[in-house]
Amino acid sequence: MAKTKSAMRRKETMYGYIFVMPWIIGFLAFTAGPLLFSLFASFTDYNITSQMDFVGAENYQGLFTEDGLFWTSLWNTLYYVLFSVPLTTIGAILLSALLNQDVPGIRVFRTLYYLPAVLSGVGVYLLWMQLLDPGTGMINLILGWVGIDGPNWLFDPQWTKPSLIFMKLWSVGGAMLLYLASMQGVSKTLYEAAEIDGANTFRKFFHITLPMITPVIFFDVVTSLIGGFQIFQEAYVMSSDGEGGPANSLLFYNLYMWRQAFENFNMGYAMAMSWILFIIVFVLTMINLKLAPRWVHYEGGDNR
Amino acid sequence: MTSQQESTRYVEEAGKPRDLQNPSYFNHHGNRKNLLKLINFVLLAAGSLMILSPLWWMFSTSLKTMTEVMSFPPSFFPEVWNWSNYIRTWEAAPFTRYTVNTLVITTLVVIGNVLSNSFIAYGFAKIPFRGRNVLFAIVLATMMIPGFVTLIPQYVLFAKLGWVNTYYPLIVPAFFGSAFNIFLLRQFYMTIPNELIEAAKMEGASHFYIWRKIGLPLTKPAIATVAIFSFNGAWNDFLGPLLYLNDENLYTLQIGLQVFKGQLNTQWNYLMAGSLLVLLPVIIIFFFFQKYFIQGINLQSGGK
Amino acid sequence: MKKMYTVPAAFLASTLLLTGCAGFQIGNGNDSSTENEEGKVVLDFWTFWGSEIRRPVIEEIISDFNASQDEIEVQHTYLPWGDIWTKELAAIAAGDPPDVVINDINTTALRGEQNQAMNLAEFMSEDDISGQFYPELWEATLHEGDSYGVPFNTDTRVLFYNKDAFEEAGLDPEQPPTTWAELEEYAAKLDVKNGDDYERIGFYPLWGINYDVWMLNANGHNFINEENEVLIDTETNLETLEWLTGWKDKYGDNVINSYKAQIDSQQGNPFFNGSLGMYVSAPTFYTQIRDYADDLNFGVAKLPEMEPGNGHTSWGGGFVAEIPAGASNPEASYEFIKYLTGAEAQEYWAVQNFDSVANIEAAENAAQSDEFTEDGTMVYSMATEYMNDTLLTPVPVAAPDFMGSVNPKIDEVLLGSKTPKQALEEAQADVESLIEKNTRE
Repeated sequence: MAKTKSAMRRKETMYGYIFVMPWIIGFLAFTAGPLLFSLFASFTDYNITSQMDFVGAENYQGLFTEDGLFWTSLWNTLYYVLFSVPLTTIGAILLSALLNQDVPGIRVFRTLYYLPAVLSGVGVYLLWMQLLDPGTGMINLILGWVGIDGPNWLFDPQWTKPSLIFMKLWSVGGAMLLYLASMQGVSKTLYEAAEIDGANTFRKFFHITLPMITPVIFFDVVTSLIGGFQIFQEAYVMSSDGEGGPANSLLFYNLYMWRQAFENFNMGYAMAMSWILFIIVFVLTMINLKLAPRWVHYEGGDNR
Repeated sequence: MTSQQESTRYVEEAGKPRDLQNPSYFNHHGNRKNLLKLINFVLLAAGSLMILSPLWWMFSTSLKTMTEVMSFPPSFFPEVWNWSNYIRTWEAAPFTRYTVNTLVITTLVVIGNVLSNSFIAYGFAKIPFRGRNVLFAIVLATMMIPGFVTLIPQYVLFAKLGWVNTYYPLIVPAFFGSAFNIFLLRQFYMTIPNELIEAAKMEGASHFYIWRKIGLPLTKPAIATVAIFSFNGAWNDFLGPLLYLNDENLYTLQIGLQVFKGQLNTQWNYLMAGSLLVLLPVIIIFFFFQKYFIQGINLQSGGK
Repeated sequence: MKKMYTVPAAFLASTLLLTGCAGFQIGNGNDSSTENEEGKVVLDFWTFWGSEIRRPVIEEIISDFNASQDEIEVQHTYLPWGDIWTKELAAIAAGDPPDVVINDINTTALRGEQNQAMNLAEFMSEDDISGQFYPELWEATLHEGDSYGVPFNTDTRVLFYNKDAFEEAGLDPEQPPTTWAELEEYAAKLDVKNGDDYERIGFYPLWGINYDVWMLNANGHNFINEENEVLIDTETNLETLEWLTGWKDKYGDNVINSYKAQIDSQQGNPFFNGSLGMYVSAPTFYTQIRDYADDLNFGVAKLPEMEPGNGHTSWGGGFVAEIPAGASNPEASYEFIKYLTGAEAQEYWAVQNFDSVANIEAAENAAQSDEFTEDGTMVYSMATEYMNDTLLTPVPVAAPDFMGSVNPKIDEVLLGSKTPKQALEEAQADVESLIEKNTRE
C-alpha cells in the first residue's frame, strides 16, 4: 500500500514537472542568466561598456549610508503603493460589480470602461498633463462647476502623487476585466439560494460575490503591489525634465534607478538598487502569501 | 457534462438582448430591482462621461489643424473637422506595413501565451509535486526585478543567439509562459473542485486529458482574459521592438507613431489621429471577444 | 462548443493570409556583413530625425555622400528620440554597434570617459577639422584633450518680443530690453490687467527656460569648473535667485502655473496670440511662429544682462556625430562624419531645417541664404552672431547628474518652502559630497 502511494507521488511529481517544464526551460534560457548577471554586477562598478571590477558591498553600503535620494525615492514609491493599490483594487471591484449586471448597452459600457487600460504610452501621459493643467485643464474646469477651487496638481509637490493615483484610477479597466471574468464563475445557484433566503443585493454582493472572487482579488493585490513598486514612465514623462520634480516629489525608485543606470552609467549601483527593491517586494509578497489562507477562498479545496 | 451545457445555456440566455427589447423587462422583476438597475445604469453612464472626456480631447485634437492646436487657450471643438488628417497620418510613414508586422507579432504572442500559460498554470495549481512552492515563488520573483537592469544582459544574450533584427526575441519567450499569466490562470484553476479532478483520475484519465477536457473548458473566461491582455501587451509594446529591430521594414505601429514626436515639436493632431487608429483594432477585438468570458462556464453550478 | 472557436480561428486565418500576401518575412538575423555586393563598405547611420521635415533633408545629404564616392554606402535608420541612445548602449554592450550615431553634445565627454564613443584623436592627427567649428562646441566634445564626437548642430536661447505690444505700451519696438532692470520695467509696462486676471503678461523668466540659464547668464560660467570646484552658493547666484522669486511674487502661483502648464505641453503658446509680451526660447521657435502665428509682428534680442557690462551670456546645446566604441569601420565612418559636418552638407541642413549648425562657414553662409524670409534672416543671423556669447554645459564627468541634487532645492525656493540662501547652501554641500564620493580612491 505504502509502495503504491509513493509510486503515485512519484508519478504526480513527474507530471508536475512535465507541466511546468516550458516555464523552466524559458526561465533557464532567457531570464536566469540576465538575473544572475545583474546580481553579480551589483557587487561591481559595472558601467555597461568599459569596467566591471569587484567592489564588494560598496554599492549597497553607499545606498544606505550616503544617498539621500535613495531614501527619498523609496519613500515616494511607498506612498504611491500604499494609496494606489487599495484604491485601484476597490475601484476595479466596484466597477466590475456594476458591469456584471444586465442593463441596456452593457457591452458598450464594458468596452468604454476598458478603453483607458488599452491606451498606453507617452501620448496618454501628455494628455493627462493637459487635463491636469491648473488653468485651462478640464479637471479643474469641472471642479470649478461644483464650486471647488482645484489644486495645482503637477506643480504642487503635495498633489503630484495624488495626480498620478487619480490617473491610475481612470484606467482600472484592466483589473475590472479580471474581476468580471471571475464573477462569471460564481454559481447562479448560490444567488438563487440566497434569494430564497431573502438576501438583498448588497448582502449577496458581500456574502457571495466577494468571497468567491477572493482568488482574483489576491492576484490583483499581489501584482499591483509588484507593479506599483515599479512605477516609472508616468513620472518620467509627467515630472519636470523627467527628473522627478517638482522638489523630488515624483522621484520614484525606478526613476532614480534609471538615472543612475542610463544617465550616470552607474549600472552596478542601479543593479544593487534593483536587488534591494527585489527583497522589499519579495518579503511583502511572501507576507501576502502567508496571509492569503485567512481570507482567500479557493473553491477547489486547496486553501493554502 | 450535460449539466454544464445547461448552465452555459442559462448564462447565454441571461445575456441575450431579447430581454432588453422586451418592454416589460424593467417591470418584470419588481420595483426594487428595477430601481437598482436604474441606479446602476445612471452610475455607469455618468462614469463613462468621465472616461470619455479625456478621449474627447484626443479625438478633437486629431481633427484640428496644427495652427488650431497651437492656439491659446485651447478650443473644445475643432473649428473645421479635418478628416483628411487621418489620411495624412497614415501616409506619413509606411503604416500599412507596420500594421502587418504588428499583427504578425501580436498574433503569435497571443497564441504562445494562450498555449503555454494554461498548461503551466495547471501544473502549479492542480498537481502536487515536490519543489512546487519554491518554483512558484521563483515565478513570482521574476516579476519583481525591474526590467532596466536585465535589459542590457538580455539584449546581449539575444544578440549572441543572432536574434537581433528578427522577431524571435519578441515572440519566442511568449511560448514559455509569463509569470503574470501563470499566476492569473493558477488562481482560476484553484477554484476548480479537486473532487472533479480526483474523480477523473479514478476513471484513469491522465493529467493531459484532464487539462484538456476539464481544465481548459472551465477556465475559458480566464484564458480569454489572458488572450486580451497579451494582445494589448504585444500591440502596445514599444521598448521590445525598438531594442531588437534595426531594419525599418520590420518596425511596428508603436515605433511608427513616434515619427510625429520630434525633439523640438510634436505634430499633435497626427499623433492623436495615429493613436486612435492604432487603438481601433483593440476596441473591435475587445467588443467581440467579450462574449468569451461572459459565456464562461460557471463551474460550481456545473459540478453539482 | 465549436462556435466558440470560430472568431479566433477566423482572425488567425486572416492574419496569416495577410502575412502571406505581404510577402512577409520574420527577419533575416543580424546581417552584420559590412560589405555589399559591389564591394562597398556599408555603414549604419542612426538618427532620431524621422519627421516629414527632417527626414528628407538628412536622406538627401546621405544620398549626396553616397553618390560623391564609390567606396562607402551609408544606410540611414530612424530611431525615436531619447530611446535611440538606450538602444545604442545595448548595441555597444553586445559588441555590434552601428557605425555612426547622432548623440547629445553635452554628454560627449562623459561617453568618452566611459569608453562608449570612439576616440577621434587618431583621425584628427592626420586630418584636423576642429577649426571648422565654433570653439565652444568643439571643446564640449573633449575629454582629456581628445575629441569623442564631431559637432553637428547647435542652438542658443534668445529673447522673442512682440513689437506690436511694445508699441501699444509706449515702448520703442526697435529697442528691446538689454538689462535685467529694463526687462522688469518693460514687462511691467506690457502687463495688461483686467480685474484679477491678466489679459497680457509682460514677461516671466521661467517660462521656456530654467533658473540655471539665468545663473549662467549672470555668472558667465558653469556651476562646476575644470578643477571640480563647486560654484553654486555664490553671491551672484543668490542675487539671481532672489530676482527670480521677485517675479514669482509679482504674478502669483496660479497665473504662473497655468501658463507654464500650457507652455510645457508644447501646445498653444501664449506668445502666439499676444497674451505674453516677451518669451525666451531657441531660435527654432521662429518656425513655430512662422507656421502657427504668421501675422505676429515680433523681434529677437540677446538675453538681457544682469548689469551693464556683465555680458549677455546665453545657453546652448546641440548634437554630435560619433562613432560608437566597437564599430567595425571607423575610417569609413570618419569619412562620412567629415562630409556630414562639412560646409556643404551643413549649409543645406541649416537652410532646409532652419537649424543652427556647428560649422562656422556653413552657419554664416546660411545666414545670407535667400531662401529665408525677412523674419527668418533676422532670427538666423542674430542667432549665428550670438554663438560667440553662448555657453554649453558639458556634464562634469565627476558628477554627471549633479543637477539632480540642485533642481529640487531650487524648486523648494520657488514653492516658498526654503529661502534662496538655504537652498544654495544645501545644494552646494550636496554637490560637493557627490563629487567627493565619485572621485574617491
